[in-house]
Amino acid sequence: MNAAVRVIDLWKEYTGNGRPGTYALCGANLEVRPGEIVALFGKSGSGKTTLLNLIAGIDRPTRGRVEVDGRDIHALGERERTRWRRKNLGFVFQFFNLLPTLTAFENVFLSLELAGRPDRALVSQALRDLGLDGLGDRYPHELSGGEQQRVAVARAVVKSPRLILADEPTGNLDTQTGGHVLELLSAQCRKLGAAMIVASHAPSSERQADRVLRIVDGVLLP
Amino acid sequence: MAAAVGISLSARAAFESFSGAVEFLRGKATHSLLRPAGTMDETVLAELARDPAVEALSPVIERRLRLESGEIVRLLGIDPLLDGNLRPEFVSAVLARGKGRGLEDGMSFLLEDDAVLADAALAERLGLLPGDEIRTVLGRFRVTGVFPNPSGEPFLLIDISHAQVLFGLGGRLDRVDLALNDAPGFLSRWGTGYRLETSVERRAILAQMLRAFRLNLEALSLLALFVGIFLIYNTAMFAVVSRKRDAGILRSLGAYRSEIGAAFLTEILLLGSAGGICGGILGYLLSRILAGEVGGTISDLYFFLRPAPPEWSPWIAAAGALLGGAAAFLGSLRPLIELQRADPVQAASGRVANRTDHRSARRIAVAGFGMIVLSLSLFFIFPTQVYAGLGGAFGFLVGASLFTGLAEVSAYRLLKRGLTRAAGLPGKIAAGNIHLNLGRTAVAVAAFMVALSMSIGLGTMIGSFRRSVERWLDAQISGDFYLSSMDSAEVPVSLYEELRRTPGIAGVDPYRSVLVSYRSTSVYASAVDAAVLQKFTNFRFFSGRAENWDRVRAGEVIVSESFARRFGVGAGETIALEGVHGTETLRVAAVFYDYTSEHGVVMMDRRRFLELFDDPAIDSLGIFFAPGEPRRAEILDGVSRRAKELDLSVFSRDELHANALRVFDATFAVTRSMRFIAVVVAFFGIAGAILTLFLERRREFGIYRALGFSTGQVAGITVLEGLIMGFLSFLLSLGVGTAMAAILIKVINLRSFNWTVFFFPTAVPYVLALATALLAGLGGSLYPIIKAWRTYPQMQIREE
Repeated sequence: MNAAVRVIDLWKEYTGNGRPGTYALCGANLEVRPGEIVALFGKSGSGKTTLLNLIAGIDRPTRGRVEVDGRDIHALGERERTRWRRKNLGFVFQFFNLLPTLTAFENVFLSLELAGRPDRALVSQALRDLGLDGLGDRYPHELSGGEQQRVAVARAVVKSPRLILADEPTGNLDTQTGGHVLELLSAQCRKLGAAMIVASHAPSSERQADRVLRIVDGVLLP
Repeated sequence: MAAAVGISLSARAAFESFSGAVEFLRGKATHSLLRPAGTMDETVLAELARDPAVEALSPVIERRLRLESGEIVRLLGIDPLLDGNLRPEFVSAVLARGKGRGLEDGMSFLLEDDAVLADAALAERLGLLPGDEIRTVLGRFRVTGVFPNPSGEPFLLIDISHAQVLFGLGGRLDRVDLALNDAPGFLSRWGTGYRLETSVERRAILAQMLRAFRLNLEALSLLALFVGIFLIYNTAMFAVVSRKRDAGILRSLGAYRSEIGAAFLTEILLLGSAGGICGGILGYLLSRILAGEVGGTISDLYFFLRPAPPEWSPWIAAAGALLGGAAAFLGSLRPLIELQRADPVQAASGRVANRTDHRSARRIAVAGFGMIVLSLSLFFIFPTQVYAGLGGAFGFLVGASLFTGLAEVSAYRLLKRGLTRAAGLPGKIAAGNIHLNLGRTAVAVAAFMVALSMSIGLGTMIGSFRRSVERWLDAQISGDFYLSSMDSAEVPVSLYEELRRTPGIAGVDPYRSVLVSYRSTSVYASAVDAAVLQKFTNFRFFSGRAENWDRVRAGEVIVSESFARRFGVGAGETIALEGVHGTETLRVAAVFYDYTSEHGVVMMDRRRFLELFDDPAIDSLGIFFAPGEPRRAEILDGVSRRAKELDLSVFSRDELHANALRVFDATFAVTRSMRFIAVVVAFFGIAGAILTLFLERRREFGIYRALGFSTGQVAGITVLEGLIMGFLSFLLSLGVGTAMAAILIKVINLRSFNWTVFFFPTAVPYVLALATALLAGLGGSLYPIIKAWRTYPQMQIREE
């Protein structure tokens, strides 16, 4: 079976002001199959977020390739890469990153609008699946942390992406709520048959994952 | 936007007004016959009536008349029996009241010397009905009827014979309006000693007189717009900063850069257009006030003009929307580019990108230097062109504003040391923040610097100009007192003769000034008593001194600096003027400094003036006592009584000077208001920049509090940033403002008006600029201080 995501010898160096660069990622190699959930563990600053951003195509690697469905996404032009992202990628952030001027419904609907499939019924279904029935017309500041993150999950999954990236999705939630969100996220992932990479500290991530990887000082350990 | 639209509309209303008035007064007349200067004898009418080219004629006296309320109206003296062929609506009005009510009523306009007709708009405004009284400084008049007047300027009509008595013009006319069937043929017979003018030529003459005035007015309005664009830039930058995170999130979700850019641009254009519409509407309302001010200034300086306020049109709002949208687009270009280039990773995480860009500050400064060199070179490449002068001045300002970033970078070390010593850690942080955020602070400082520089430049120019005028008044208008009519009446020649013979009065100067044509434009020809002025005044000449008057007494002329520069004429050269006996060649004895008129003055002895123009009228008398005259008060008392009998006003030298300076101050009222508007606009730029910095660094403030800074210290950082930006603006404006003053005085004023304004710098504009800068810096920090004081540190650190 073809890998959903393949990372080949990926490096990321941060340079600036004439000083020697810092390597946030050192030669990472990874393959994730469709429908597989991979948990990525590592301390703060180990390179988890950098890896996810490179896979998402919102950051550019210093060296190496990221292939999604056989295509090197960094060889695509900016527009192509963005188009790929809007149709095929769902992203869940640690700090929710909901747009404060849109309601919960509108935040989720935005994802479908960008993907070119503005289907309100899908949004309502997604909100119901995540236990957010009746909360669609609330603004982010009117929701609890857990509710906001569930809206963010709905936003990520509503367009049936092929790949879901979750960067510390429970990092800003208490243990019980975080566990619940992770369960919902994983359930959605399996339902859609999407590949998912979860960067996390939480032990509950291990329980949901098919595979657990560790990253230390920018090096992805097999 | 309101300032730009308001000035533009009011200027247009004024200039359309005189066009409308000229057209309305023309009626069916094709030409007007005038003397080269002054009035003509009414006996000319008989000869005109016999001329085969004349189909219709109407003698006219046209003067200003001040109502008791202070309002000035145009008074037209006509012969209704002759005028009906050219302006039938006037005759209809004359006869209207008489319909069915008897010949006497209909003839009241002709028979009663206080009978006038009022234009319908004036009558309605003053609540006048036929039979009501209208009070003027020349007496009371009875309104016998009204006539329609589409021009909008207020008019009164009076029978011409009554006008002659009113203004002491026995047997004389201002002009004769004609309907000609053969203008060239007529000119061949009447070309010598007379001037023939069409309404088109009349309009062109008036427009040409106002050219420099209009240009400078509109340049001022563009200044407000220019500073406004900086404000829009800051506002757009503020919008970018406050929604950068949203843009990062959208990029992460799959929005194209172009979609984010388009959304932002749409918002800016909508806001800009909405602002433009509001500005257009406000500007229209402003123009209704300004039209009167502009008209008043034109009336004081050039010719009678009472413009009607501009009419509302939806196109004003549309023009405002277009202008606002264009300004918004221009001002938001850089923030838009910055938004599109923003790193989505950093933006979505709420981290702010490194804001230091010293290399680009240097590059921009080099571009600024190039612009300054190019602008200054315009002054030399086009040494007389006023447009080149204005373009160069504008380019200089833009070029200077591009130096702001480099100035901040260069001043950083000194600033940091000084502020750390003065204010400790908050001072050090504030200096660092200004330095790190060049993209925000440099633009705000540049905008404020431009506004302060214009304030210093205009303030110094106006101050220098005023001082120059004061010196000129002291030197040239140095009579002990002056007699004149408040309105267009003349001073009787008999009074002049009487005063000349009065013991104790050492000299009387009979002043007369008329518009004449020279090289197809208008200049002033003035008559004086050269011997009296030689003895009692201190005219300032380009070369020579009082001995120049000897040649004037011998029949030569002196010309004003404006005349000399305008026509390239100097001492020893000759000029040709059209007189009553044809073209006369006059030798120029000297050039003198003068601020009477930017169109130029040719001054000659009264005897020469009479030979040339046969115009014995006197506008005013200047009375000079012998030094130490013991009977001054008694003589003055006697002269005042005589003047009162003749409805003349008496002014002391100080009163006349004060009046002249009052006109001067009123002329610059609009200029002063533009200074104020520019500073207000730029103040909001500073405030916007401070707010932008504050918003970007809310987390930092929370961290400072968590580390142990007091809320007062945190607020102090913001205050210091505001004060630094204000002070930096002021420091830069010292040099740029002084340079602008020099440009305004030596280039703009000289090329627009052809006269030298002497440089009299004072501390006042600089002190005002410093005070404004510091107040703006403080005022702009107010909102962030309040926010910082009210907000707990925990909420400042959290992301959401």
